[in-house]
Amino acid sequence: MNRRILQGLVLLVAAPVVASGPRGTVPKPAANRYQAHAEKDGVSVGATLLTSDEVRKTFVSEVNRCCLVVEVALYTLRDKPQQLSLDDFSLRVMGSETALKPSSAKVAAASIQKSAESQRDITVSPSVGVGYESGPYSHGTYRAASVAVGVSEPGSHSGSSERDRDTMQTELTEKGLPEGTTSAPVAGYLYFSLTRKKNTPLQLEWVLSGNKITLTLP
Amino acid sequence: MAARVLLLIALFTGHAMFAWAIPQQAPDTVQQETAVSTPSDGSKQANVQTPTAPKDDKDNRDARPPHRIHVRLGTVSLGLGYSYFSGPYYYPYRVFGFYSCGVAYPAFFCDAFWCAPTSLLSPVYSGSLAYAEDKGEVRLTADPKTVKVYIDGAYAGTADRLKSMWLESGAYDLSLSAMGRTAFHQRIYILSGKSLKILARLEPEDAPGAAHEKPVKP
Repeated sequence: MNRRILQGLVLLVAAPVVASGPRGTVPKPAANRYQAHAEKDGVSVGATLLTSDEVRKTFVSEVNRCCLVVEVALYTLRDKPQQLSLDDFSLRVMGSETALKPSSAKVAAASIQKSAESQRDITVSPSVGVGYESGPYSHGTYRAASVAVGVSEPGSHSGSSERDRDTMQTELTEKGLPEGTTSAPVAGYLYFSLTRKKNTPLQLEWVLSGNKITLTLP
Repeated sequence: MAARVLLLIALFTGHAMFAWAIPQQAPDTVQQETAVSTPSDGSKQANVQTPTAPKDDKDNRDARPPHRIHVRLGTVSLGLGYSYFSGPYYYPYRVFGFYSCGVAYPAFFCDAFWCAPTSLLSPVYSGSLAYAEDKGEVRLTADPKTVKVYIDGAYAGTADRLKSMWLESGAYDLSLSAMGRTAFHQRIYILSGKSLKILARLEPEDAPGAAHEKPVKP
């Protein structure tokens, strides 16, 4: 009887975890399939900086509004589980003194929402018409042309509502690089609140057991 | 009795009704997701990413700040009207009695709501999948067209009747299944006012390579 109760409790606890679905993306076969890759102590890491077009195709959320997106994959040895934390990553503009930590999904979603709130759409709708009327008392041709201009209110743009923010956060979380201990290849996206300057290469840094691994992203 | 012909193509009335019947602001199509019988949502993402995408001027757009004001072209309306009237100006009303639903009469009073085809009155459209301002659109194209569509495990209908469905902002599990075909599963994210295109091809189960991914151009 106690075993059944225990099984029920395990199911109750495990259900939300299972229902939350997989995290991250599917790693490519090897780290060298990414733009930049490196290996240290049996751990391989690969990274690719997504272009704005790729970001648009990959995410429903308009991540381009807030962040640069880097896809990162880690390949660890089975007998050496690796602790993975977003704090171990940073992005630096080459030649710059300062580096930036990745934003959490919550912060990135809030940033996108704030950007969407401030955006306004102006819609122009031209209209042209011609009419002809004939009768015993009057006849003639009538022409009409008009242009309607509508300006959306701030906050009416897609992605500006609280519910949209929750959805964006869910998407960014589910596609983001999963944190925790792993002994299998994992991959996912990192979001950096950084505006990239023209043709400036970036450096992704990862601290592995106190050692820094640097990947140059073109 | 003088013959009376009234033929009027409603210029402003007609297009005003038409504009009323459809959403004024077309949703932004933000993403084209394509997948072929993907066994999980994660594998779909692998299709989108290219390992060594060449960098070009598109990257330079990352450096530009997002535009706050967007100007877009709304509904463009063109109209043509013709009216012919012959006979005395005033009529005793009893001569003509009540108007019947003739040729010209429905042009005024039959709009998309009054004279909608019966297919549009099905529960699919009048239920929770109907348009609303705070919803996002899913444009579904499936092959074969008669596959069953499930949203978060609940049956929604067949794909041929769900070409356009509106869902509230959120994350959903979309599943398509048909007898003798490999199932299609995809995690989708819906934002209000946005449109998501999904192309799903369910290969026959005995087809070689049916379980493999095949990238499809949108």
